[in-house]
Amino acid sequence: MGKQAEDNKNDSRFELLRELLLEDDRDKLAETVHPLIDEKIENLRLNFPEYFGEAITKAIKVQIRDSQDEVVEALYPILGKLVKKFIVAEITKLSDNINRTIKEKLSIGSIIKRFFKGGNNNADVILQEVFEPIIEEVFVIQKDSGLLVGNFSRGNIAEKDMISGMLTAIKSFAEEAFSKEKQNLEDIKFETFQLSIQNFKTLYIATVISGVINIKFKENLHDNLNNLAEIILRDRSYLANEEKLSKIIQEILINKNLEPF
Amino acid sequence: MIAKKVLLVGNFGVGKTSLIRRFVQNKFSEDYISTIGVRVSSKVVEFENNEVKLLIWDVAGTSGDEKIPKAYFLGASAAMFVFDLSRSETYLTIENYIESIKDLSGLKEVTIVGNKRDLLTKEELKTVTDSISVKINIITSAKEDANVEDAFLKLASQALK
Repeated sequence: MGKQAEDNKNDSRFELLRELLLEDDRDKLAETVHPLIDEKIENLRLNFPEYFGEAITKAIKVQIRDSQDEVVEALYPILGKLVKKFIVAEITKLSDNINRTIKEKLSIGSIIKRFFKGGNNNADVILQEVFEPIIEEVFVIQKDSGLLVGNFSRGNIAEKDMISGMLTAIKSFAEEAFSKEKQNLEDIKFETFQLSIQNFKTLYIATVISGVINIKFKENLHDNLNNLAEIILRDRSYLANEEKLSKIIQEILINKNLEPF
Repeated sequence: MIAKKVLLVGNFGVGKTSLIRRFVQNKFSEDYISTIGVRVSSKVVEFENNEVKLLIWDVAGTSGDEKIPKAYFLGASAAMFVFDLSRSETYLTIENYIESIKDLSGLKEVTIVGNKRDLLTKEELKTVTDSISVKINIITSAKEDANVEDAFLKLASQALK
């Protein structure tokens, strides 16, 4: 009995609340609430990156980390197309370059000239023309201490002292680790560059060369490095004057055209 | 400008690389750099009105470690032996280390530096310094940038002697 009376009372309260909310005051309430909601939505729209950016970035990172295979699968076709496009463009350039060189080098005049001059075969000639060897850097370094005595650079190396130190360390490491007898590290290859080292008693000269190096170029370089070392070691004032040494490096190794063939 | 090769020698993890980073780049990193047993950095310092370019060879270990080429020690003008004040195994045989560095480099003097001061209380520091048979030249903390510059200036003065 008592429970039924209680239920009736609750029902009448809900009815009253329903009337209040849904009848006369609803429009008034809407007038007040709608601008507030609009304002909040606009605020959310404008500041979405600030409010949720970090959380979304974090979630994306987690998603990428946990689904690497799926990410790779999704990116692979796009990257594949890009790489293919790049390779096709590069091969076209290379092909044009080779065609031009063949035309020039296989002309009657050029063949006669080479016949009298002697030298390399046609493949070497073409390769040499397309990938001409260029001395990019020269470092003259004290053998034991790794201190840089002088250098030439086509680029702008900021840490040349550190490079000469690390190069000396790597050279020492390789020589002690792999040499059974007293041998010297002579060449290091990295990507399209070759680093050649010529050792002398108290110093060594490292040259960084880009392009294709043939035997003739190597021989010329070897001779010129020997000439340079002879000049430096005969007149030790070069070792105390970086500017003077850099000038003679340029004169002997760079300005003096190293005939590629 | 005068250029000098200087050595930093000591066991793995004593904070040599951190000292160099603090001195050369003035910032500290917890990263540990694994190398071929050496890492070369350069820094120009002014010492008694002379500008000196220090080529700092951070050598991991000494001759006892067969992986370290002896050539790393050649041509050096000064050397610093660094040990970790909080790890006794890094200074237990300190005399042997110093002798080894002198033999390999031909140097007569080696600057001895106790690093990681920040990990010890005053009492612990005293116990450690009392237990070490050789004279410690400088106590440093790479983490707190304490005495790092002084240690390298001491090295520069040794290099110019």
